Amino acid sequence: MRTPILKQGKLLIASVQDSMTDADLIQLRDDLVSGVRRHRSVGVIVDVTLLDVMDSFAARMLRSIAQMIKLLGAEAILVGIQPEVAFSMVQLGLTLEGTMTALDLEEGLAFFAAKEAAEAAGDDR
Amino acid sequence: MTGQTHSNPDAAPAFSETMEITEQELAKRKEFLEFRDEDVKVLTGVNDIARRYADEVIAEFYQHLLTFDETRAFFSDETLLRRVQNMQKEYFLRLTQGSYDLAYTQNRLKIGAIHERIGLPVKSYLGMYNFYLRAVASRLIKAFAKEPERAWSVFQSLMKLTFLDIGLAIDTYIHSRERTIREQQEAIQELPTPVLPFREGMLILPIIGLIDTKRARQLTEQLLGSIRANRAKVVVMDITGVQSVDSRVANHVVQTVEAARLMGASVIIAGVSPEIAQTMVTLGIDLGRITTVGDLQSGIERAERMLGYTVTRSAPRHGAGAAE
Repeated sequence: MRTPILKQGKLLIASVQDSMTDADLIQLRDDLVSGVRRHRSVGVIVDVTLLDVMDSFAARMLRSIAQMIKLLGAEAILVGIQPEVAFSMVQLGLTLEGTMTALDLEEGLAFFAAKEAAEAAGDDR
Repeated sequence: MTGQTHSNPDAAPAFSETMEITEQELAKRKEFLEFRDEDVKVLTGVNDIARRYADEVIAEFYQHLLTFDETRAFFSDETLLRRVQNMQKEYFLRLTQGSYDLAYTQNRLKIGAIHERIGLPVKSYLGMYNFYLRAVASRLIKAFAKEPERAWSVFQSLMKLTFLDIGLAIDTYIHSRERTIREQQEAIQELPTPVLPFREGMLILPIIGLIDTKRARQLTEQLLGSIRANRAKVVVMDITGVQSVDSRVANHVVQTVEAARLMGASVIIAGVSPEIAQTMVTLGIDLGRITTVGDLQSGIERAERMLGYTVTRSAPRHGAGAAE
């Protein structure tokens, strides 16, 4: 099943469903990368609230999404990792080094809002 | 490799835990004291002498106890004194009645437990046994004036038996102390760990006492759950009250910190004791990934900076000790 990607201003928001196959994840990665290029987005929020298991493939895929998006000059943030998922990920060594994380969608949006404000303030000077 | 073969296959739970002596354990104790059937025979042989001297010895014994403040305090009234004297006589006669079985040891354990409960110090307990042995020895020498060898063999057998009793009595003391320690440990482990919302987006998690694997797991669930519930961005985990952790627990804490990061929260560990610092360094834990500070105050200050809070004093502080 293809993951819907919502455009919200300069951001793209993808809400990952609970039954993601490996192919779905690859599809999501490709959609996000091309979406960022097409819409000239500055940020991507990947919401994984619904995921109750995260295997190593999913973790690797999410990490590479973040890295690819960074290469395109934008930034990705992973939001909504559940407490149990977070702990089992750490136990499996899937610590998503170098990936931004936030509590939920709201915090993710706040992160980009704060970043935009900071950049605007920087431009004024 | 050979460790397995050395371990006792029918190892029962430690006696000090259960306070139940088994047939096997009793046999082992008797064997160690070399208390054998001959001793039983020797002891039963002097039962009539014991009867003859019982009242005299008991009277002397209590006279001795009453001359010391420490032991006198236990016999505050006459009826109590008479009751324990009767019990003491019963015990005295039992020493030569020849049945030193499980029922006998259970009785000794019970008596020992009573003494422990009323707070009779071990030194007095031992002193009482010593007095007993000396009193009996002098009676034996008198009774067997013509056969000193017999007196000596009776005394030896009696000494073996009393040492068996002493061993049991001291076990009751140890058992009780260990039970107290265990109960206190359990109480410490069951101390709830409160999660305190300190500012918006900031939690304080003070941890006191021992952290074992079970408690560490509980702590993780609580911490990660409250990050979600309170929408926290920074958690200050204060471990000032933790003396030491083992390597497994230290790793668990580090994993918790990383899991919190995955949820978008930072954890600051405050109050790391020198011992814990040493454990962490020895373990080679990647300190780059976790933030630690010396005390809770620095932890809170660091957290406030991360969240963009600035704390300013609204009025100058009054001089120390100034009158209202």
